[in-house]
Amino acid sequence: MEFSPLANPLATVAQLETSNSQFDGLPADLEKSIRFAGARLTQAAGILLRLPQEVIAQAILIFMRYWLGPEAGSLHHDPADVVSAASIYLAAKTSAYQKSARSVINVYAFLDSIPTTYTDLSQLPEGVPYVSESTYTTRKRRLFSVEVEVLESIGFQITFTLPYTLCFTYLQALDAFTYPRGQHLARRAMAHLNTGLLSPQFLYLTHQPHALAVAAIYLAAREVGVKLPGVEWWEVFDVDREELGFLVVGFLSVGTFAAEEKKYWGTRKVPMTVAELDEELDVRRVSSGNASLEVDAPQNSSTGVSQSGSPVGEC
Amino acid sequence: MPGASRWANDEADAAEDARRKKEKEDKKRAKQLKQEREAAAAAAQEEDTRPSKRRKLSPTVRDDESAKPAERQLLRFEGGSWGRCRHVDNYNVINHIEQGTFGVVSRAIEVETGEVVALKMAKHDERVREADGYSVPALREVEMLRKARHPNIVALKEVVRGGDYSVSGGPIYLVLEFVEHDLRDLMNHMPEPFVASEIKTLFRQLVTAVDFLHTNHIMHRDLKTSNILLSNRGHLKLADFGMARTVPPPSTPNIPTSPLTTVVVTLWYRAPELLLGAKTYTTAIDIWSLGCIFSEFQDKTNSYILKGKNEVDQLYKIFSLVGIPTEKAWPSFSRLPNAKALKLPRNPAKPPSLKRVFPSLTDAGVDLLSWMLESNPDRRATAKDILSHVYFEESPKPKPMELFPTFPSKAAKEKRKEWTPEAPKRGEGRWSNNGWQPGEVDFTALSSGREKR
Repeated sequence: MEFSPLANPLATVAQLETSNSQFDGLPADLEKSIRFAGARLTQAAGILLRLPQEVIAQAILIFMRYWLGPEAGSLHHDPADVVSAASIYLAAKTSAYQKSARSVINVYAFLDSIPTTYTDLSQLPEGVPYVSESTYTTRKRRLFSVEVEVLESIGFQITFTLPYTLCFTYLQALDAFTYPRGQHLARRAMAHLNTGLLSPQFLYLTHQPHALAVAAIYLAAREVGVKLPGVEWWEVFDVDREELGFLVVGFLSVGTFAAEEKKYWGTRKVPMTVAELDEELDVRRVSSGNASLEVDAPQNSSTGVSQSGSPVGEC
Repeated sequence: MPGASRWANDEADAAEDARRKKEKEDKKRAKQLKQEREAAAAAAQEEDTRPSKRRKLSPTVRDDESAKPAERQLLRFEGGSWGRCRHVDNYNVINHIEQGTFGVVSRAIEVETGEVVALKMAKHDERVREADGYSVPALREVEMLRKARHPNIVALKEVVRGGDYSVSGGPIYLVLEFVEHDLRDLMNHMPEPFVASEIKTLFRQLVTAVDFLHTNHIMHRDLKTSNILLSNRGHLKLADFGMARTVPPPSTPNIPTSPLTTVVVTLWYRAPELLLGAKTYTTAIDIWSLGCIFSEFQDKTNSYILKGKNEVDQLYKIFSLVGIPTEKAWPSFSRLPNAKALKLPRNPAKPPSLKRVFPSLTDAGVDLLSWMLESNPDRRATAKDILSHVYFEESPKPKPMELFPTFPSKAAKEKRKEWTPEAPKRGEGRWSNNGWQPGEVDFTALSSGREKR
């Protein structure tokens, strides 16, 4: 079958339904948190490595693909930060902006030295952390072995068609740059496309680039107040109303999700290594044990009949 | 075979006529359909006064428009899916095809579907892997083939892994579509070289592929006849992207790109700026290779035209074919790293005109060739220039692909037909054990054979 060069391979139903991490007993909400933080980490590393956004986007999508589906990687085996490093190393390798393993390892060491995940940028640690030669050798070996693991688990599908250029083409087709706020509109649309990369719903892995571009333009035009044609212009770009609506909601929900994440994790660090993850799971086990004790006690003392069937710890 | 081409044109014309007729009919039908649809839409607009039940996303959408029947056909783009690498055991190897620069290529059959494919094993060098991780050429080839989906570029079906089932990091194989011939091998064994109309068809397909790559900011960096495949239906496909890499368009922000290596392109196809050690180069290097390939087609014996022994000799051969670049024709020439070391004659002899080197080529053909073999990369033709060149429009017209002759495929282990004598022609020699003997018949071979026994 001939595939369109404008299209990306999309996630199958089975891949969306479950993940290897969940098979290994990882709670879905924690998995979501780690994936989101990992994608952010990749974006940050890409900026520090001075990579163009297109390469960073590719890296984030490699990272996202790696965790999807029952055959994929599991957070119980593969540390999210190394997978993120391998993704960016891979994406840069095939681009025109190759980066050395040393640069990648240094950048990740710096990012790891930041004590909180949702940090205030004004409180970044000073100085560059020192990676000793032996640490470098171990980390490099691990980076390369995870690199191979990532490649094989996603079937070497590390190429993505991105919506950025399509978005500009569509804006031009819509005559958007003739508006006084056309520039602003384009910038907002790009911002939405970048936001979408981090989506916990993996918008980029479930929708084709043309649809993402259209939804970003639609949303940006509403925000900026540019009036686009009063007809279903999105159909010209082969996007139906239902898909557009879904994507618009998807783009918007990332902000809400991020705010919740920030609130939940506070000054703590989202677990990025297997050890940190185990620690977090231990903490959760203890606190949920306490919680169930606390909740159980009054129920027993009052009537002895459990009325609500709602499981403890669901929030 | 002079008769064949005449037949070919007739058949082509007939096909072309039929196609035109069909096109006309189609247009007519489409127009009628459009009119009908417009009438229906107008009627629907008048009749339909009920408000739409659908939730409106935009307040600007007027009722009558949202109530229109949602029959519009939207294009759906198929992109497939992804999954873990399958194992190479899903394929049965039939025979080896060649040992390429990049790895071993073999013909194989997919067990499940019975489809014949080419399996290309990616070399992996342990020392490189120690230093830089996964092999860059292998990754680039996969990436480029995925990006460059084009009818004239060999299609990558999937990547499979070999080695132990449970251990990752074994060898990998690219599963490519199987194409019967590679041009170099075919041209070596063809009884007669391609005729002008066939060359046009082949070369145009090749340039279309290269144009597609260049538009997508990809340099192939190893164009040569042995990397060009030809199917039995005259369909040309470009292969071997191990050297290819992306070059960002010049408008990209000032993010420094990783340096380009000058050790690219097989020597006989290497552009002068590469031989002179230029630190930066452009897609023009591919065009130079195209020029070399074009001249190879034109050569009577289909042999390489610039066959240098080493870099210096290659430059010498280039300059004796196209002349030493003057300061005016290529201003930056003398500033290139290796140019200083060159000892160039003060008053160089004027090279023979390309027309004399390739007497069979028309004036337009010579013009095209000299444009592709222009020493100054800035003045060299682009792929688009070539495609719109008058050479493709003048007679003979490109031969339709369906009318291409077929050849036994070496890759598919098909027997090449052995040379058999033709009926004697009037006034010519006769057949003997030593081939054609002009004039007198010589029976000494027969008797000498008998004596030995």
